[in-house]
Amino acid sequence: MILLDFERIWPSVPYILEGVQVTLAYTAVSLCLGFVWGMLLALCKVSSVNFLKWCAGFYTSVFRGTPLLLQLTLIYYATPQLTGYTISIWEAGILTFTLNSGAYVSEHIRAGINAVDKGQMEAALSLGISYSLIMKDIILPQAIRNSLPSLVNEAIDLIKESTLISVIGGADILRRANIVASEKYLYFEPLIVAGALYYVLIMILTFAAQLLEKKLKTT
Amino acid sequence: MIRLEKIHKFFGDHEVLKGISGHVAQGEVLAIIGPSGSGKSTLLRAINLLEVPTSGKVCIDGVCITEGRVDIGKIRSKVGMVFQQFNLFPHMTTLENIIYAPIKVKKLPRKKAVALGKSLLAKVGLKNKANTYPPHLSGGQKQRAAIARALAMEPEAILFDEPTSALDPEVVKEVLNVMKELAHTGITMVIVTHEMGFAREVADRVWFLDEGHLVEDSASQTFFKSPQTKRAREFLEKVL
Repeated sequence: MILLDFERIWPSVPYILEGVQVTLAYTAVSLCLGFVWGMLLALCKVSSVNFLKWCAGFYTSVFRGTPLLLQLTLIYYATPQLTGYTISIWEAGILTFTLNSGAYVSEHIRAGINAVDKGQMEAALSLGISYSLIMKDIILPQAIRNSLPSLVNEAIDLIKESTLISVIGGADILRRANIVASEKYLYFEPLIVAGALYYVLIMILTFAAQLLEKKLKTT
Repeated sequence: MIRLEKIHKFFGDHEVLKGISGHVAQGEVLAIIGPSGSGKSTLLRAINLLEVPTSGKVCIDGVCITEGRVDIGKIRSKVGMVFQQFNLFPHMTTLENIIYAPIKVKKLPRKKAVALGKSLLAKVGLKNKANTYPPHLSGGQKQRAAIARALAMEPEAILFDEPTSALDPEVVKEVLNVMKELAHTGITMVIVTHEMGFAREVADRVWFLDEGHLVEDSASQTFFKSPQTKRAREFLEKVL
């Protein structure tokens, strides 16, 4: 018979809940930095300078072509060896997630830019507007709107991928649930609590994104 | 004001423009007509270098813009363009569409730009659409707004690329009327069009293009009464 004993982990729930902050901090900071980084990469990809195009393409292929876990452990363990700098868990996490998510974001935004009607660029050029202003004020606002659904997916992925931080010792939701599990010799209950927390976070994000999309559609 | 010398344009192996030379005087209204695929739009787009000619010269006010080291942005702000598909910026209101370039390119103070924008909107009959976003405008309203946007830069010339081809028949007239009012006010107009009646009535001169050649360059009266070339006669018989 299966015995579920949520009562025994009840005192540990606040401890797991504190992990929400950690998970959100990793996700939010890497998402913002990754967005900026991805936008720069996307601009390189659509530029007419072949060298920039090639660099951004190669960068993306490397970060999409290797496992995130490998990138994280490499940055965490190899940085001290290579540079002598002792990188903290937080720094390694943010750096890896930013670099990785930038690669994906750049593809979403590049697709968004390509989906903007070519007439927009032509109309802006015919008014004598400079390339940088056209990108900033005319193409990117439309491109970002186009890629919004993919960017939300990226944020959802990032929430889930942030669990990898537990491998190098970051005390996020999953790591805390595992600690509670090994303390109490109970696995199902703490992991279910962790799972529910992730689910709720992602549902909130999805709902917010739907509201945002609706709002953008009406303007 | 606009001078073209031996313009050739290739798309891959296909030669779209086969050595076109011509001249458009200040204040003149020129209609470019001809069958589909004759190179009309490509020629028009070569004037502000949206299509860079494979060879040949484009000179505007004596400045040859096909010869490097020219501030193309500056030239483009003197030569406005109106497109078949309007190409309004959908994330800006109609007024913002109009005042963006004057503010950012000509550094016009915002207040002045807004006043200018509103007077232009009134001129094209869109006084009450200043705060409307383009997706909520009808086709005819969009094209009138696009004309106002081009006018806001106070250009010396405006290029019209089949401005009424994407419109419902019943709103074609409202756009043509706005263009008619513009004609002979000192602004140079180059219009690629299939509206023969309009070309006949408003244009001073007609260029007839066929298969990449400028087949006939005549005063509009002459062209429509007694075209000089056989090819133009055949074309007119079919479309009139």
